[in-house]
Amino acid sequence: MSYFDRATPPTRESRLASCITYGGTICGLAGKGRRSCLENAERSFSQGSICLLLPALGIINSLPDTAVLIHGAVGCGTVTHSQNCIVRMGSAARHGKARDVLWFTTALQELDVVNGGERRLEDAIREIDREHSPKFLVVVTTCIPGIIGDDVDTLVERIAPEIKARMLPVHCEGFKTSIWATAYDAVYHTIGRNLLEPPEGELTSGPNPRLVNLMNVSSMGRPDELELERLLRALGLEVNIFPVFADPGGMHRATRAALSVSTCPTHDDYFLKHLRERYGIPFSIRHMPIGIANTALWLRDIASYLGLKDEVERVIARETAHLQAALEPLLPLFQGKRAFIAAGEMRALANGTLLRELGFEITGMRTFHHDEFAEGEYEKLAADGSDFVVNIADCQPFEEANLLRRLKPDVFMGHVNANSTAARMGIPTVAIYQVGMHFVGYRGVYELARRLHRQIRNPSFNQRLAEHVRLCYREEWYRRDPFSHIQRRGEDQL
Amino acid sequence: MSSYIERPRFSCALCGALMAAAALPDTIPIVHSVAGCVGNVAWTQQGGAALQVGGPCGCLGIPGTNLREREVVFGGLDRLREQIANTVVVMEGRLFIVLTGCVSEVIGDDVDSVVRSYKWAGMDIITARTGGFRGNSYRGYEELLKTLFRDYVRTAKRKSSRLVNLWGVVPGMDVFWRGNLEAMRRLLESMRLEVNTFFTGEDSLETLACAAKAALNVVVSPLYGVEAAEIFTEIHGTTYLVAPFPIGPTATGRFLHMVAEALHIGNEDVDRVIDRESERYYRYLSPLTDPWIDLDLQRYALIIGDANYAFALADFVADDLGWLPEQVFVTDPVPEDQREDILGRRAGLRPEPEHRLVFETDTSAIRHRLDPRWFPVEDGNDYRESFSPAFVIGSSMDRELAESLRAGHLSVGFPVANRAVLDRSYVGYSGGLRLVEDLVGAMVAAR
Repeated sequence: MSYFDRATPPTRESRLASCITYGGTICGLAGKGRRSCLENAERSFSQGSICLLLPALGIINSLPDTAVLIHGAVGCGTVTHSQNCIVRMGSAARHGKARDVLWFTTALQELDVVNGGERRLEDAIREIDREHSPKFLVVVTTCIPGIIGDDVDTLVERIAPEIKARMLPVHCEGFKTSIWATAYDAVYHTIGRNLLEPPEGELTSGPNPRLVNLMNVSSMGRPDELELERLLRALGLEVNIFPVFADPGGMHRATRAALSVSTCPTHDDYFLKHLRERYGIPFSIRHMPIGIANTALWLRDIASYLGLKDEVERVIARETAHLQAALEPLLPLFQGKRAFIAAGEMRALANGTLLRELGFEITGMRTFHHDEFAEGEYEKLAADGSDFVVNIADCQPFEEANLLRRLKPDVFMGHVNANSTAARMGIPTVAIYQVGMHFVGYRGVYELARRLHRQIRNPSFNQRLAEHVRLCYREEWYRRDPFSHIQRRGEDQL
Repeated sequence: MSSYIERPRFSCALCGALMAAAALPDTIPIVHSVAGCVGNVAWTQQGGAALQVGGPCGCLGIPGTNLREREVVFGGLDRLREQIANTVVVMEGRLFIVLTGCVSEVIGDDVDSVVRSYKWAGMDIITARTGGFRGNSYRGYEELLKTLFRDYVRTAKRKSSRLVNLWGVVPGMDVFWRGNLEAMRRLLESMRLEVNTFFTGEDSLETLACAAKAALNVVVSPLYGVEAAEIFTEIHGTTYLVAPFPIGPTATGRFLHMVAEALHIGNEDVDRVIDRESERYYRYLSPLTDPWIDLDLQRYALIIGDANYAFALADFVADDLGWLPEQVFVTDPVPEDQREDILGRRAGLRPEPEHRLVFETDTSAIRHRLDPRWFPVEDGNDYRESFSPAFVIGSSMDRELAESLRAGHLSVGFPVANRAVLDRSYVGYSGGLRLVEDLVGAMVAAR
């Protein structure tokens, strides 16, 4: 039985044994494979983080003709305020006009917690359908309905015949998983179950041998999409970007592609396996097109599936030469500088390779979680015998502050909303991820190099901050082992 | 009540309490909930709080128990104990505030008993029930204040006749909160009063703990913090004044008189301040006169805001700028039976006809409640009493509406995605000037 036959997808913990807790070195991870870490390790002190609802809404909010109903307390949906900025800019870049997200909340109250929230949810669906007539209505469940036992799937199935909007249930009960990448599975799950069959009566043409699905779960803005489209077109391919900003009504066209192309296994493996099993579409998923070598590997992988080996070598040679010449004047500033990286696992590792290509030395790396997909990547970085600190953490900036105080890197690259620790310590800091800027492909290398160059040339903003702003940790904390709050379950606290 | 809210302009109780607790000096909040609550607040701020993310303890730095399925089944109190014990080791703080989220409350964790045991052991630690299902961010702010007044403010034997506490400006929900609180403090200090505002850089935990010495509590809101003021009176005996949020010279003059009257201060002190500040206000405003007239900067206005801003903005543009606020939307969920109270607490000089004040939480519904004749028509070859020239003062979610009315727009109320606010304030005399700058700036941006 396929995962997609069930109402809810599995968590990443159960499907991939993913974990979020480790403190050690790259060699420690590279040798041992995924069981090295980490089983049962937990933190006896933790800081808040995000849950799967956030990245899930990142995809859902971008869909045109779609309203989003969050079934939960009134606060759960307000993350949409930040995503609304991305959707506005993304809509303007793709369709020439900014668009606000249309979202609703059932705003569950105390009485609903006691009596159950199904009644309120049903009323909300009916009212929204009547008053707003969205073509698609995504119904997102959160912690409260998960605990009090609202059966959203049965409810949606029962009332579907009376609702004009096509309803898409998505499960985001935050307490069920610590791996927020489960969000991608949750959204893909509903797409796989509801949107891949062509509507009745629509003439379906056969598979298109030049068409590839380029998967984007919102981590790439339009500039990044354009760069990858440019490269794939140079191979003579047509590109279907999926699923962000894609019309849900046309998503079934993804089943006509000759190949699905991922830029990150953390994002897409769940869905791409489904597309292969159900529709026979092969996929390439092994590399992330960040950095010169990785972009070439990514392109070669795609080409190998489609018999484009000669073409791809021509593209790679031309692009690499062009890029290298452009990078030349920027590189002297980078030589021997020590960099610290923090991001999602695949992105952090790919950027490690990229920074080495630019002449940096890697002094430490933090990744949000760890699973089997990254094993080869750790080995890539450990291959030359160099060792550095690796910390797996769902943010946890207290560990980061301690590490940065010890390692004193020359430059820091971190995720959106997670750069302020390094910046307030005076370290030149560049975002490793921010929708709307260039990160991937050859253009990504060049633009990132320029951002690093700018930041290193004048880090005054951060330096002045550091002279005047304190982080909120005790001095004693910096003297303790940064991983002293990591322990195996059942062990007493030190 | 409707079964949903469409794009509410507030978050949950935990979010409101957390933004306020993180704004207190030397204070470390501990969130007893799932991991995502803290991140949700950080991203809510990133998109809605005029580019201010996190407080001193910042954003994703806030300690949390990060509950999982195991705790949902077996209870989260062991995890909470462990977290509190280790928070003291890692985080630099003197007051610790445990805030509950939906999950710890739904599973029935007895947080009070755990917090009490640490308190008995000598720790400065308090807790507030702020599960998201208990209400919105304003409710969370109110719950936090109640906890502070009940469990942190010490009883005082004597009152200090010139000391006042001031609250009602909600950190984060009012994106100008830092500037606004500082401006209120300056205003009252200019009347030779001592002021506690709790959340600014000039406040401290010591002055908060001694707040019961105040002769008067001033709540600058018809709604937020009034319940906490009642609790304060009950416990510490200090009476309170509910005063409208003052923007510009007319409202601020009235505000200062209200405070003076409540404190039995003679009019001389007040009039001296009002004369000086009004003189300054008009000295700065006066050179705008020619452009104001020549460019015809009088506007019909559509005001959309929370209970503080909606009335304050409407009164300012009507009483001081001579604009016509044809419709005013209050976007808080105010129960019907409380609406009259709130309306009674506004200060405008001009009694507004009832129909111009509307309570509406849903963003699209605001458009549907406007007179359809206000929207421009292409075939305009007719005499028409249209809603033009117009200006919408609202949030960044009202840009599409303003565009369809062909009106100017300024984001003032949450969410404010398209402005950066640091120490800006719209309160008082200087605040009125800032607001004029920003309104006119938006109108002439294409010049």
